[in-house]
Amino acid sequence: MVSLVQTLILGLLVGALYALMASGLTLIFGVMRVINLAHGAFAILAAYLTFTLWRNLGLDPILSIPVVMAVMFAIGWLVYVLVIRHVRGAHVSMTVLATFGIALVLEGVMGFIWGNTSTAVRTSYTDASLSLGPLYVPQAMLITAAIAALVIGGLYLLLNYTWTGRAIRAASTNEGGALLVGVSVATVAALTFAIGVATLGAGGAMLSTIYPFLPGTHYQWIARLLAIVVLGGLGSLPGAILGALVIGVGEIAATNYLGAAWPVAVPFLVIIIVLITRPQGILGTRLREDAVA
Amino acid sequence: MRKITALRAIVGIAAIALAASGCTADGPANSDTVTIGASLPLTGEFSQGGLDTQRGYETWVEMTNEAGGLLGKPVKIIVKDDATTQDTAVSNYNNLIAKDKVDLLLGSQSSLLNIPASAVAEKNKMLFVCPSCASPDMFSRGFSYIFFSQQAVASDQAKVFAQWIANLPPDQRPKTAAYPALDDPFAGPAVDGAEKILSAAGIRTVYKDQYPTTTKNFDSVVNAMKDAGAEMVVQGAQFEDGVNMIRAMNRAGDKPSIVYQSSSPTYGQQYLDGVGAQSAEGVFSSASYNSIAKTADNAEFVKRYEQKFGTTPPEDAADGFAAAQVLAAAVNAAGSYDDQAKLADWLRANTVETVLGPLSWNSDGSPKGDFLVGQWQGGVSQVVLPTDVATTDKVLRWQGGVI
Repeated sequence: MVSLVQTLILGLLVGALYALMASGLTLIFGVMRVINLAHGAFAILAAYLTFTLWRNLGLDPILSIPVVMAVMFAIGWLVYVLVIRHVRGAHVSMTVLATFGIALVLEGVMGFIWGNTSTAVRTSYTDASLSLGPLYVPQAMLITAAIAALVIGGLYLLLNYTWTGRAIRAASTNEGGALLVGVSVATVAALTFAIGVATLGAGGAMLSTIYPFLPGTHYQWIARLLAIVVLGGLGSLPGAILGALVIGVGEIAATNYLGAAWPVAVPFLVIIIVLITRPQGILGTRLREDAVA
Repeated sequence: MRKITALRAIVGIAAIALAASGCTADGPANSDTVTIGASLPLTGEFSQGGLDTQRGYETWVEMTNEAGGLLGKPVKIIVKDDATTQDTAVSNYNNLIAKDKVDLLLGSQSSLLNIPASAVAEKNKMLFVCPSCASPDMFSRGFSYIFFSQQAVASDQAKVFAQWIANLPPDQRPKTAAYPALDDPFAGPAVDGAEKILSAAGIRTVYKDQYPTTTKNFDSVVNAMKDAGAEMVVQGAQFEDGVNMIRAMNRAGDKPSIVYQSSSPTYGQQYLDGVGAQSAEGVFSSASYNSIAKTADNAEFVKRYEQKFGTTPPEDAADGFAAAQVLAAAVNAAGSYDDQAKLADWLRANTVETVLGPLSWNSDGSPKGDFLVGQWQGGVSQVVLPTDVATTDKVLRWQGGVI
């Protein structure tokens, strides 16, 4: 029983990090219908920015989050203007190709700047835990879960209670209709992409405190993040949260009860099962083009 | 469906990118120059070791050229990045031989990459001295051009350590052990060899499992080891997984009294940066190299390496340098590299002095010696076993306490 509860604690905490990282990916798809394969690379970039602020300025990773989010917002906007804007209306394979290209460029740039060796951020809380009788709660993961709640909660408030959020949701639901009522869809798209990358800034910052990373690590993260948003339903923020928690618990439980080789397979098994049984994901909705394709 | 089409596109693009990740050729070799070719994991999971090995190769080339070259000719080395993928390693060696027309080869880093890469060398009848290919699978294929330039194969890597633990007095000897290992041709046999000796001594195995190279989350592995009550952890690790494991053990408050990791602790400062000096304290590892050893050319190697890179050479750099020393010894003895079967025959019959110490080989190319056992103590990597070459007579438990 203790083992089961410990598995759930670790799984949910890992899932919280995944949710923080996946929220931007699903937001970008929901509004722009762009599957951003560079999302994992952006996460590693945020981790390196956090590492640089920690090593050179002694800035704690938690305190660096606003800075990293601001920088990632600017990078997101720039990438949208330089690349995504030009392929947004094209066939989905073009956007996939373009974002994969961005990921490869980012990998090369990060390797050039920081090298291709494994890096880690260590602070007083990164390897410490809180004890609850026979159970333990890793501090860095607990802090990450709290930050995930704050950032995703902020995203929810932004989407539901601000004019900008309503514009984003309008563009997401009906782009033509949004244009008719005066929403600048192009600006909303740029803003959405930048917000999606900025929320990932918080995820990348906390990732750096939990796992070692190197530029090539982004392939593993994008595979996992895609599984999460496919499971939850592409474009659904609550779906991404649910998917992240399910994958997190699934990975930890698979290690405990099946063996250490299984967690890597969990995201891919999830993609296969979802595509067969419920292609729109748990909380996703079928689009008109899905019905006619 | 549009979303499903996108996922198919992702898979296709990933496959194209993997296929395209090889490197370009540098042109055919010049007969006035001895050109050596090697493929190394300069990016990807094993990049830490690959980059260190590259530095070892380059240091050897520089020192050799200053000393007059090889057979009186200047030496040039072409190193291609295999991105820690087997297919690219094979493609790189094929290109080095067919396109770059290199005269000699040096191996890649890790058994995972050297097992397929060495088959290319064997097919082309070229000597293949590898600095890091300890898997027994390397030497069970009947190949005659493959030589491993360290002291022992993986199954014997933890032998000296395990025998020492097995011979401890019963009140000091752990009663239970966990054996997590990277799913890799090197790491698995290393822990298998240790388990065989420790089980025979009555130390009960309470956890044993293999994890893939892409594993990031070790909290659940540690949770399982802790639940099993392991008093000793013997991990078959490369680099990042070893760091991850120690950090997860700290998070879980898991405090086994003995911790052994096969490779990770030998990465020097990178390991200390990854886990911190306090968490490194008392971690055992098997080492092929110690920078203060009085072995052939070691003082000159250390001095030059520190001048070039500003740090003491880590084990993989020394292993790379030693592989090149072995290759050069065979070429110098034969006086030519035209018939590389002669180079292989010479290595089978002779001992070569290297920065790692004297190396000699069995007929299958596997080495005949024993590894050193190292331990982090006060932020310094000490040799603790065998006792006749130890740099300290103190042996510690993990994170405190003398054994």
